[in-house]
Amino acid sequence: MLQNFSYQAPETLKDLYALLKKSNGKATILAGGTDLLVNMHNNWISPESLIDIKKIPDLKGITFNPKTGLSIGATTVCIDLINNKDVKKHYPLLAEAAHNIGSPQLRNRATIAGNLCTASPCADMGCSLLALGASVELGSADGVRVIPLKDFFTGPKKTQIKKHEVLLRIVVPAEMAGAKFGMRKLKRIKGHDIAVASVAMARTAKVMRIGVGSAAPTPVVTADLAASTTLEKAVAAAEKVICPIDDVRAGAEYRRFMVKEFVGQIYPELF
Amino acid sequence: MLDNTPKKDLNYVGKDVERIDVVEKLTGQALYTADLEFAGMLHGKVLRSPHAKARIKKIDVSKAKKLVGVHAVLTGNDLDYRVGLYLVDKYILARDTIRHFGEAVAAVAAETPAIAQQALDLIEIEYEVMTPFLDPKQVFDKKAPLVHPDLGSYSYVEAVFTPVPGTNIANHTKLRKGNVEKGFKEADYVIEREYTNPNVQHVPMETHIAVGKWDTGDRITIHTSAQSPFTVRNLFALSFKIPHCNIRVITPYLGGGFGGKAGIHLEPLCCCLSKLSGGRPVRIQATREEEFSLLPCRSGLTYNIKTGVNKNGKIVAQKMTMYWDAGAYADYAVNVTRASGFSASGPYEIENAWVDAYTVYTNKPFGTAYRGFGHVEFSWGMERHMNHVADTLGIDPLEFRKINALKPGSKTMTGEEVVKNTGSVTKCMEAVAKSINYGKLTAAELAREKKTGMKIGKSVVALQKAPAMPPFTGTVMILKLNEDGSVTGSHSLTDYGMGTYTSLAQMIADVLRWPIERIRLPIENDTDRDPYDWQTVASKGLLLSGNAAILAAKDLLDKCYDVAAQALRAQKCDLDHDAEKVFVRHHPKSHVTYKQMAVGYAYPNGNAICGPIIGVGRYIAQGLTNLDKETGQGNPALDWTFGAHGLIVEVCEKTGAFNIIKVASAYDIGQVINEGSVRGQAIGGMIQGLGTAMCEGYIYNDKGQLLNPSFTDNKIPTSLDIPEEIDCIAIETPQIDGPFGARGVGEHSMIAVCGALGNAIEKATGAVLTHMPIRQENVWKALQNRSGKKATAKAAKPAKAVKAEKPAKAVKAEKPAKVVKPAGRAKK
Amino acid sequence: MKITLTVNGKKYQRDASETKNLLHFLREDLGLTGTKEGCGAGECGACTVIMNGKTVNSCLILAVEANGADIMTIEGEAKNGKLSKLQVAFKKNHAVQCGFCTPGMIMSTRALLENNPKPTVEQIKQAIEGNFCRCTGYQQIIEAVQDASGQLKKKEGLKRA
Ligand SMILES: Cc1cc2nc3c(=O)[nH]c(=O)nc-3n(C[C@H](O)[C@H](O)[C@H](O)COP(=O)(O)OP(=O)(O)OC[C@H]3O[C@@H](n4cnc5c(N)ncnc54)[C@H](O)[C@@H]3O)c2cc1C
Ligand code: FES
Ligand code: FES
Repeated sequence: MLQNFSYQAPETLKDLYALLKKSNGKATILAGGTDLLVNMHNNWISPESLIDIKKIPDLKGITFNPKTGLSIGATTVCIDLINNKDVKKHYPLLAEAAHNIGSPQLRNRATIAGNLCTASPCADMGCSLLALGASVELGSADGVRVIPLKDFFTGPKKTQIKKHEVLLRIVVPAEMAGAKFGMRKLKRIKGHDIAVASVAMARTAKVMRIGVGSAAPTPVVTADLAASTTLEKAVAAAEKVICPIDDVRAGAEYRRFMVKEFVGQIYPELF
Repeated sequence: MLDNTPKKDLNYVGKDVERIDVVEKLTGQALYTADLEFAGMLHGKVLRSPHAKARIKKIDVSKAKKLVGVHAVLTGNDLDYRVGLYLVDKYILARDTIRHFGEAVAAVAAETPAIAQQALDLIEIEYEVMTPFLDPKQVFDKKAPLVHPDLGSYSYVEAVFTPVPGTNIANHTKLRKGNVEKGFKEADYVIEREYTNPNVQHVPMETHIAVGKWDTGDRITIHTSAQSPFTVRNLFALSFKIPHCNIRVITPYLGGGFGGKAGIHLEPLCCCLSKLSGGRPVRIQATREEEFSLLPCRSGLTYNIKTGVNKNGKIVAQKMTMYWDAGAYADYAVNVTRASGFSASGPYEIENAWVDAYTVYTNKPFGTAYRGFGHVEFSWGMERHMNHVADTLGIDPLEFRKINALKPGSKTMTGEEVVKNTGSVTKCMEAVAKSINYGKLTAAELAREKKTGMKIGKSVVALQKAPAMPPFTGTVMILKLNEDGSVTGSHSLTDYGMGTYTSLAQMIADVLRWPIERIRLPIENDTDRDPYDWQTVASKGLLLSGNAAILAAKDLLDKCYDVAAQALRAQKCDLDHDAEKVFVRHHPKSHVTYKQMAVGYAYPNGNAICGPIIGVGRYIAQGLTNLDKETGQGNPALDWTFGAHGLIVEVCEKTGAFNIIKVASAYDIGQVINEGSVRGQAIGGMIQGLGTAMCEGYIYNDKGQLLNPSFTDNKIPTSLDIPEEIDCIAIETPQIDGPFGARGVGEHSMIAVCGALGNAIEKATGAVLTHMPIRQENVWKALQNRSGKKATAKAAKPAKAVKAEKPAKAVKAEKPAKVVKPAGRAKK
Repeated sequence: MKITLTVNGKKYQRDASETKNLLHFLREDLGLTGTKEGCGAGECGACTVIMNGKTVNSCLILAVEANGADIMTIEGEAKNGKLSKLQVAFKKNHAVQCGFCTPGMIMSTRALLENNPKPTVEQIKQAIEGNFCRCTGYQQIIEAVQDASGQLKKKEGLKRA
């Protein structure tokens, strides 16, 4: 790296909180590094210190409880999610979404939490976890707070996380276990590429939700729709939450078209 | 042919021989430039312009100079040297004027890359941003800002190029054959359309890197990832007015080049930084981002084709106008313009031809050689156009191509006569047509359409290319006999992945009749130790170096025979040889082994004769001429390699998504030397061509700033992007002056495959595409613009010929071109 | 920061700069230059090594993060001066041209075969999706992996018309 920074790897949450507090907002959390180190390589950011959270046992692991749902620890990487039995059984959408991320090398390092914290509009876990009505648990020396993922993203690369906070885990509600689902991702090549537009949908007996990526400043989700929502209404709901732009990856018009097209493709899979 | 060994006696030529450089590459032991360490080495970094055009009002490097660990800081003011391959137009660092986004403005050498970066950050520059000239088609606009106001004062290769001072034209290549206007008058149809290509990056996996050391007394050593060590040396010597013998250029293993490393790039800057640092070696390794704008790319092309054609499908006249978007410096672009100018028609005979090919300076990153040397770009237009014309006539596009294909007796655009041994483009087309079941959908394909709901389309395209090189292009192979009877070669063609050295070793082994294991051709090259080779470009390597290798092997044998004749008291005509020895043919026991003679033959009493043995083979292209500057007539072609691609695609008519089901490629390569290498070149180039076709290309904003200088937004094909099925076919019409009859194929695989994709998509869906790359979104847009009828629907018989007076309008991917067609049948 | 790690079965202890990525650490501090840099940004896979049994882009890992890790690089593939079965298959099938992607390619396919001794063509393609090769067009690499896993019935060849 061409930059200067310090590196610390706390082994307990308590130490992490203390470090975060002491750094006064100057420290940056390092998880898989697949986003952070790229940004540093490109000189887009130059953090003073990196705090590696991968040594902290409390942030590890995936657990499923039929009452409380799925908990994804902050240092869970894509491949863990893809191979997890509970995920495969109850939330296969998440395995598919994680499989959509990057290349095998990336999936071996990239964390699910990091994918959300980067808050890129194209984050593949963003639209899928939104469709599943997930929430995130943020912790700091001041305590723990839980916020719904739909309120988490506040703008491109911006989230509700405060400087001294860490995302502890992602919680996917139990009622979404076994939801019917589908995901589509528009890429420019068949090999690894970030989403040019993406749609993830989930439906239970009670509710239908559509998460959309790369079609608004953040990943977005429709309001909770009735499980019986018609295709036309579903398309309309998706259209309502997006505001795509023209950029080097695609034109707004095509993004809009493809979002609607994807909703149409997934819809029959939900019944 | 220089060697007439009967095919049955060949042990290596034509066989599937493993590469001679593969073990070191498989184990990570091959040393590339970045793997070398030099005592005291400093790290150079370059400050790049964020603007496409600007004046440097002020540049202050005082803070950077003071930083501890910094050894040298340079700006354009320090370096009054211009470099240039054909037209000497580029300062090593921009002086006063910035001409493209990413241009080098200042450079630093420091003890670590991080310190060098910090120093760059301390350089203060004030720019006056100016309006860039970005659209090459505006070249005739008198008000257009000039990229090089001093063009008239630059030196250039006058026999070949024609810059037009006072304009942005770096070169105007003309070709005039027959009488085009008369041809158009006689034609039943005149059909015109325009096709465009963006700048494209080569993307060798190894980025450019050089380590330069400028010692006191002006002795210079350069280790570099260059394709053409002697060109680096020559241009360096000319720019700095230093004797050639003082400059040593070494090329270690190279991680790909594709033309992007053909010229001189980072080397002068490394050396100037070294000189200022008191002779410490300075290394500059380009970042991937720098590959896109600091280093050169492929020129863009806008290609207008106007074709006069008869009802029976014979092209009678064609006017071709090329606007090459060369970017800020001429580099190879002027020669790309020349080379593509003389073959702009593709492998078709055009009785009356007119070409105006302009190399246009613009304020963009500059273009250089890129695999195909202009042919990938113009073939996109030409092969799309051939289908367009055929569709208009209602003739099958393959049939139309066959009618017009070059064949024995036809004349190329420069007036060269095609003979039987030139090769057969028709055979290539027929082979791929057969491979893809051209002209119909098989039952399996119909079932697939039904299952997927997608539409399948097929196309066949043809291609040709001759090496683009000066008529005096030459090379040398030296073979040195070692003590144990093995040989070590010395040669300066670089093998940056193509496998040429393996092919050369095969040829040498077959001429010597030795096992290939006894032949070593070191992959690294060194201008101090190895003999001259012009450049490693143009698909001329196998032919020229192959001939040199054969001659060297024969010379080596001749020297061995001299020794044996003397030692055995025999006439040379009575001698023969095998893998171990030279012997008397009618007395095989009377022999001398290579081991015995390698360093000088010694008689039992100690008397010695002859000294160490080397064989030398020199070869130069025969009978080539410069082209007449007014008419483009002459003989520029060492050889023509013809080829064809057949492509099957399936397209979703709703979203524009498409999958390439199959690509079959055939080339008339004269003689296969190495099966695996031919197939490797064929597939590798074809996929690189598909990259150009599907996803690559520069995107700028209206200020001329490059928006996608990374793999994030300039995608290249991955393993998941290759066709489901690939077929490679070799046709072998021997090249009489080719080694064992062979001719080159390195670039050809990349040519025309883009047109094949565009044509197959149109065939499947009627979507008309005239701009590359073809992204899914572009297909979708083209589908929206489809007229009610499919463009490929069979055309009715033309009522009456209609002549085009005005050129068709510029065409963007979204809109199909205006086609001048028989009255009443023109579609919107 | 002092780190200890195992590379190709050999234990190393070094004082690693905190700002150095694993790629540069392997190349510069351990002299293992077989692993290549093609982008430094996680896209191209030239820097692929196997870390604790999984392929990773060594350009996106700090050397200090690899403290305690077990790493395999291209230098560990050939044993006792003999090419591995996989390397031999690459050699036989012309899966190498310029060779710059080759170390990473071998690492990715080695990891694939360890988990899946008989991968399908599609699985091979997916396993090397993150390894760009600009020279070969991938086909001969795929064939080499099929060959190494005993699945290539007949060596693919050039047809002659
Ligand atoms: C080549 C390439 C391809 C990619 N392809 C895709 C793709 O297809 N789809 C996709 O969605 N993404 C893709 N990405 C982006 C990236 O890999 C993902 O966003 C990844 O999931 C980020 O996770 P990480 O663990 O690597 O995050 P890091 O890089 O470690 O961190 C990312 C950001 O989140 C912060 N952060 C991480 N964890 C926490 C936490 N627990 N609490 C608070 N803050 C935290 C960090 O401080 C940093 O700002 C790609 C990246 C690359 C380099
Ligand atoms: S160098 Fe690491 S992925 Fe390209
Ligand atoms: S062999 Fe050159 S990049 Fe793969």
